[in-house]
Amino acid sequence: MSTGVLGTEKRGIRELGAEEKVGWDEVTRGVVLNSFEGDASNVAHQKAEERQYADFNSYTATVASWRIIKPVYNRDICIDCQNCWVWCPDTSIISRDKQMLGIDYDHCKGCGVCVEVCPTNPKSLLMFSEAKEQEEALAEWPEKKKKEKK
Amino acid sequence: MAKEFELNEVEVWDGNYAASQALRQAQVDVVAAYPITPSTPIVEGYGSYVANGYIDGEFVMVESEHGAMSGCVGASAAGGRVATATSSQGFALMTEVLYQASGMRLPIVLTVVNRALASPLNVRGDHSDMYLGRDSGWIQLDAFNPQEAYDLTLCAFRIGEHLDVRLPVMVHQDGFTTSHKAQNVTPLKDDVAYKFVGDYVPVNDMLDFSRPVTHGAQTEEDWHFEHKARQHKALMDSRTVIDEVLSEFKSLTGREYNRVESYYMEDAEVAIVALGSSVETAALAAKQLREEEGIKAGVVAPRCFRPFPYDLIRETLDRPTLKAVCCMDKSAPGGAMGALFNEVSAAAYTTASRPMITNYIYGLGGRDFAVEEAKRIFKEQKAHADAGHITTPIQQFSGVRGPRLGFFETRRG
Amino acid sequence: MAITSVKNLKEFSTANDRFEGSHLLCPGCAHSMIVRELMNATDDNLVVASSTGCLEVCTAVYPYTSWDTSWIHIGFENSATAASCAEAMYKARKKKGTLPNPDAPVKFVAFGGDGATYDIGFQWLSGAMERGHDFTYICLDNENYANTGGQRSSSTPIGASTSTAQAGTHSYGKTQKKKDIVAIMAAHGAPYVAQLAPNKWKSMAKGFQKALETEGPCFINTVSACTTEWKFDPKDTISITDLATDSLMFPIYEIINGTELNILYRPKNIIPVEDYLGAQGRYRHLFKPENRHVIERIQKDIDEKWEYLQRREEARV
Repeated sequence: MSTGVLGTEKRGIRELGAEEKVGWDEVTRGVVLNSFEGDASNVAHQKAEERQYADFNSYTATVASWRIIKPVYNRDICIDCQNCWVWCPDTSIISRDKQMLGIDYDHCKGCGVCVEVCPTNPKSLLMFSEAKEQEEALAEWPEKKKKEKK
Repeated sequence: MAKEFELNEVEVWDGNYAASQALRQAQVDVVAAYPITPSTPIVEGYGSYVANGYIDGEFVMVESEHGAMSGCVGASAAGGRVATATSSQGFALMTEVLYQASGMRLPIVLTVVNRALASPLNVRGDHSDMYLGRDSGWIQLDAFNPQEAYDLTLCAFRIGEHLDVRLPVMVHQDGFTTSHKAQNVTPLKDDVAYKFVGDYVPVNDMLDFSRPVTHGAQTEEDWHFEHKARQHKALMDSRTVIDEVLSEFKSLTGREYNRVESYYMEDAEVAIVALGSSVETAALAAKQLREEEGIKAGVVAPRCFRPFPYDLIRETLDRPTLKAVCCMDKSAPGGAMGALFNEVSAAAYTTASRPMITNYIYGLGGRDFAVEEAKRIFKEQKAHADAGHITTPIQQFSGVRGPRLGFFETRRG
Repeated sequence: MAITSVKNLKEFSTANDRFEGSHLLCPGCAHSMIVRELMNATDDNLVVASSTGCLEVCTAVYPYTSWDTSWIHIGFENSATAASCAEAMYKARKKKGTLPNPDAPVKFVAFGGDGATYDIGFQWLSGAMERGHDFTYICLDNENYANTGGQRSSSTPIGASTSTAQAGTHSYGKTQKKKDIVAIMAAHGAPYVAQLAPNKWKSMAKGFQKALETEGPCFINTVSACTTEWKFDPKDTISITDLATDSLMFPIYEIINGTELNILYRPKNIIPVEDYLGAQGRYRHLFKPENRHVIERIQKDIDEKWEYLQRREEARV
């Protein structure tokens, strides 16, 4: 993934449910979970990569294993309409400064909604097998379809 | 800024009014409440203090007791002092949320005016509601008269909000016999009372936007047990804090409270263990029997019903003179021995003296428990002591018409 | 209040998500689309309460939370009470000066599914609406108890097959009509009540903003297409919702101060409800000859409701 914005910070490091089952001291009083480390007053004005997520934040976990098919993004066709961003149920479309940058494969479950709502011709997002390499998928991208008259 | 409330050195208050004054002096931020006899005047009182500027708080009259405790949980998680009051059916309706309040470790104070549970519907005092709460994870303190209702309500905030405890606390008093009985009450001055209770210290405050928190997460088999075990440990460990707070209250007021109260137990041969306003009845009977007939009678009263004071009950009962103990349960036990009998027997089992223990179910639905009946029960214990074995069924009923009910017998000494 | 621009999707997409991924909702679940949109519609601090249900059990399973704001769950029936009494505490602490961030803007929001809203939490919701707290209640209406495997609720429409109102040789599924929760909430005199749908993202975002901006108790019913229990492919969540709004099975409208009704979406081509029903497994049995009358009944109900809404809008009462 060549998004550039999500490379360094703590994220997607743990398979959901595979975290170490430590014992007694890790149990928080009253089952309370804090979402961030440090002062998070400004979170509404911070991008994910600017935030200090706590280990308890599901942002730091991954559900990638749920997927059997995945959306692949083709930058060359995309018009940055943000349909995929607004309707993604898994906060997995990475948009910055009104531009679609790519897919967050740690949080994407492969539902395919983004592909369905993509308005370009051909679509700028298509579903491929999870095993398919990105370059391979892009190489197989279909040509522009002629409009079917109903 | 809330106005100061003019108080005389000695006031004539009933238990409800006493509790409501304690809520005022603690400057409770939010009371979410629903009216129910006989506890209604407590929240009416809070409402009137808000309406007249004696509290800077919010009085939220919700649509049910379930809503009342739900509102208390929401408000408490939002980082302020919270209290409410209820009785009986209302208590039963809020039971679901009682467990949630304690599991979420929110130091809500609930003043419970004990009343029977239907069916049949009954507004009078017994301990069915208090017993219903006994596994809910709350600290349960028991007041025997209006002064104690006032004192213990103030202490409840200190105990529950203590940073080592952070558990909700119930303060119980008996419906009508305490809640509607006016007696002399010596209140603290507003500033003294507030200083004793202290400012509320928020923990995991939902209104602290620098630290967003999630309250009420789900835990399954991989985490639930540790959470519940830690919660139980906190409840058990709260005994130290309860003792500290009660001792500090004594230094402030001269009024002494203990997790287990005892009267005339030093050389007692027979004893009654009871809760609530019956304690005073039994203590009077013990005093009179000692004077009139030389029977060495004593009374033991758990002040703290949860965490149950096994340690102090054991200490109190572990004396060679003590032969027979009657545990008095004011709640229909539903096919078992009364709860007090079970808890006290467990505590006494490891004493060297191992007194004989019997159980009376009494006072259901507000049936009167008078000094004469207490004396009769003491004398029955004396008969067990003289015979060297229990001469009656282990469980009996006191004050009920009809055939003499008795269950389980033993010849063991 | 600080609202995010919803002039167009590009502007809207600059919002910083505060509902995180790796929650456990089904792939394609509309719940998270709706929740994301609500949280992206404002920059204000949020105190969110959730009733027990899909949203709650999928977003706060120890040791993870998907919420970047204050959040609370108590029980199935009481998210309205939790949010409204947190709001009461906010007022009390404001008076007393004990708020840690006294100047920070905050909004109180409660979420509940249709089970929590129409059924088990109905009384709690009604109480909170009547008390007039400054909060917004959002129902994620997927027309069944999806979290427990798809039982009927009083929001389930007539003719839908659920595990407790099953279509079979002697039954066409649920025989009762869906409860009109919007009318009931409007009857509380709430200042802002609306029915919105995530496929119409702009009217939904604007509706959310209106509700958050409006002082007092606001209620929004959102259609939340349920891939698992409505039985359609997860990728089709938005297209199914399109069919719902374009067939007028879910009309999009608002009611201000209990009276002023505005229709927020008028389909250019109203499609027959058959198209909507036919796209979902839960209505499949209705296409048997003996059940056709139910489809006719549903269409008739829709036509009447649409007529009613238009007349109400015109009459301004």
